[in-house]
Formats: sequence, structure tokens, C-alpha cells
Amino acid sequence: MRFEEELVELLPRLRRFARGLVRHASDADDLCQAAIERALKSRDQWQQGTRLDSWMYRITRNLWIDERRAAGRRGFHSPIDDAVTQVAGDGPADVEAGALRGDIDGAMARLPDEQREVVMLVLVEGYAYREAADILELPIGTVTSRLARGRETLMFYLGEAA
Amino acid sequence: MSFDPETVAAFVDSELDDLTARRIEREAATDTALAEEIARHRALKSRLAAHYAPIAEEPIPDRLRSLLAVDDKVDTSLAGRRDARRTRFGAIHWGAIAASLVLGLTIGLRPWMPAADVATEGGRLIAAGALADALDTQLASNQPGDAAVRVGLSFEDQAGRYCRSFESRSLAGIGCREGDHWQLERTLRRQARGAYRQASSGELADVAATMMAGEPLDGAAEQAARDAGWEHSR
Repeated sequence: MRFEEELVELLPRLRRFARGLVRHASDADDLCQAAIERALKSRDQWQQGTRLDSWMYRITRNLWIDERRAAGRRGFHSPIDDAVTQVAGDGPADVEAGALRGDIDGAMARLPDEQREVVMLVLVEGYAYREAADILELPIGTVTSRLARGRETLMFYLGEAA
Repeated sequence: MSFDPETVAAFVDSELDDLTARRIEREAATDTALAEEIARHRALKSRLAAHYAPIAEEPIPDRLRSLLAVDDKVDTSLAGRRDARRTRFGAIHWGAIAASLVLGLTIGLRPWMPAADVATEGGRLIAAGALADALDTQLASNQPGDAAVRVGLSFEDQAGRYCRSFESRSLAGIGCREGDHWQLERTLRRQARGAYRQASSGELADVAATMMAGEPLDGAAEQAARDAGWEHSR
């Protein structure tokens, strides 16, 4: 399969991962776009036979971290609570669903970046601890302790019933 | 509880060696606190998975697809790919498949694994807990009207897998048998609580129509497939 075709296959999952990191759909797609452009430019660095998905997730995550750091230096912090209004639509059912969804988006937004990325990789994307550690280029112990703290925080915000 | 929180979490994430995992399972059968902790972790995981699952079902925006210069006519969404496979089954008589609800099976649910209906494996969504049990055992022709999970159509898809549509209070979708689990091919988050929405049943039936090879299973075929463990005898 061509490199581009393999990337296309990955896009649905990559968009989901990006949405977990940055929340707003258009920002998430901006991130995906940047990741695809980066991947195409540095495709020589991807070693055939290794996992393209891990490589793409790593590129996406690194671009996101760079962007967060740059924004931090500019003194810009995205507001937390507009997640709820962003997802709510017009009809009563949409508003209700939006509010319910807002719980999770709001709770995720309250996680520090380094916990949010681990939560997304392990709990949503289904990666093993070892694979998540490889993507994030971190020791596995760091991944598990960040995951534990992230879980605690999410359970706190989402309530006992989670 | 004799297991630390990280071990319990690792159990839920399938990260423990078999021996430790079996010890936890055994202890959870009698240790309520441990069982609750496991349930809490499973609930969080399935809630997150269900929340983010629909994003992967969205069509890919053109601006992303065009970067990869694949044929514009190729729709990369899961739904789109199924539409592309839509073949000759445009006019199936759904009315004939209406489930008659009599009485249900009491499923051997383990009390310590309640809320987790969805899990992930290798980045793919699979049914877990009560949902997996319902897909394994519940017959559409023989389920209580107030069943937590309602099974709709059962059919064989074009890859020869058994697939079943389902609705629960928070999630509706189609699960297809892969090995010993049900891979969730399509998930819709329910818009309103409580009552089943007719619209989503129709939506699912449409998706099922694009997936299926031949006619949906009738009551007898459904039961035979279930009794055979959703494996083909041939």
C-alpha cells in the first residue's frame, strides 16, 4: 500500500486523538493537517516495517506540544469552559447531549497536558503502556503514574458513576 | 483490598500477567471494594471510549484528504466505505423482522463488571461487559421489553462475519464477531435518554443493509448461530 494510502487509513483515528488533545474540531483538524504535512515532508525518516501509526501519533503529539509551549510563551491560555457551549446544538436533545458531552470535554480540559495525552493514548486509542511510552518517548513508569493521576482527576470530575 | 490502585488499573487495561490477573479476578468475586474499584475503572474507560468513538466515524474533511492526493471519489469514512460496497440489497423488508418481545434470558452477569459496555483493543472498539454478554446470548425474538441492551438485526456481512445491531440507553451500534469478541463497526451515541428513538433504529437498519450479504437471520437461524457460539460450522 502506498504511504499516502496508509496515512488515509489512519486519519479517522488520528482525528479522534487530535480532538482529545485540543477539543475544538477545527483546531484538531489544523493539528492533523500540520501532522500530515510534516509526515509527507519527512517520510524518509519513517522506517518501512515499523508502525506508521505510532510514528504519526508521535508527530501529532510533538506538534501539539510545540504549539502549546509557543502559546504559553505568548501568555495565551485557552479558556476551559467554552467546551460546553461549543458542542451544544440547537434542539433540546442536542443541548442535552452537548451538556453531557461537555462533562467529559470539560473534565479532559482540566487535565494537565502530560496526563491528557496519556489518557487519550491508553484509555481511548487502546495502546498498551509500552506502546504509549514509545510514542511519547517516555519511561513506562512515567506513563503509568501520569495515567493514574489522570484517571483520578477524571473520576473526580465525572463522579463515582463515571 | 490487597491490590494497590495502579495494579487494579493495570488489570482493567489488560496489562497484568495472567497469574496476577487471575488472582484479582478471584478476589473480586468476594471482595466488594475491589469489585467496585474495577467497575469504576471500567466505567470510566467505556465512557471515554464511547464519547470519542463517533469522531472516528466522521467523514474526513476534504482539506485533509486532498493533502494525501488520494482519489477524491474515495470516501474514507467507515460509513462511506460501506456505502461504496452497497450492492443489491436496496429493498429488504424490514417490517418482517420486527422483534417479538417475550421473555428474556437471564444472563450470567458478574456483579463486579457492570457499566463497561465498550473496551478498546489495539485501537479498535469492542463490546465488553453487559453489551458483550447481550450480543453473545440475547435473542431478538426472545428478549424482555425493558432489557438494558436490545438486540435488533442479526446478519452475516460480506466478509462472512456474524453481525448484530443493538441499542442501549447510551449507545447504539453494530457489532461484528471477530474471534472471541464483538468488534463495534458502527456506534451512535443516543441523543435522548430513556425512550428508544425510532430514527436511530432506522439509521442502523440502513447501515446494516449496506453491510449484509443476503437476508437477515430469522429467529431459528439466529438461535442456531448463537448456540454455535457465533462460529460458522463449515
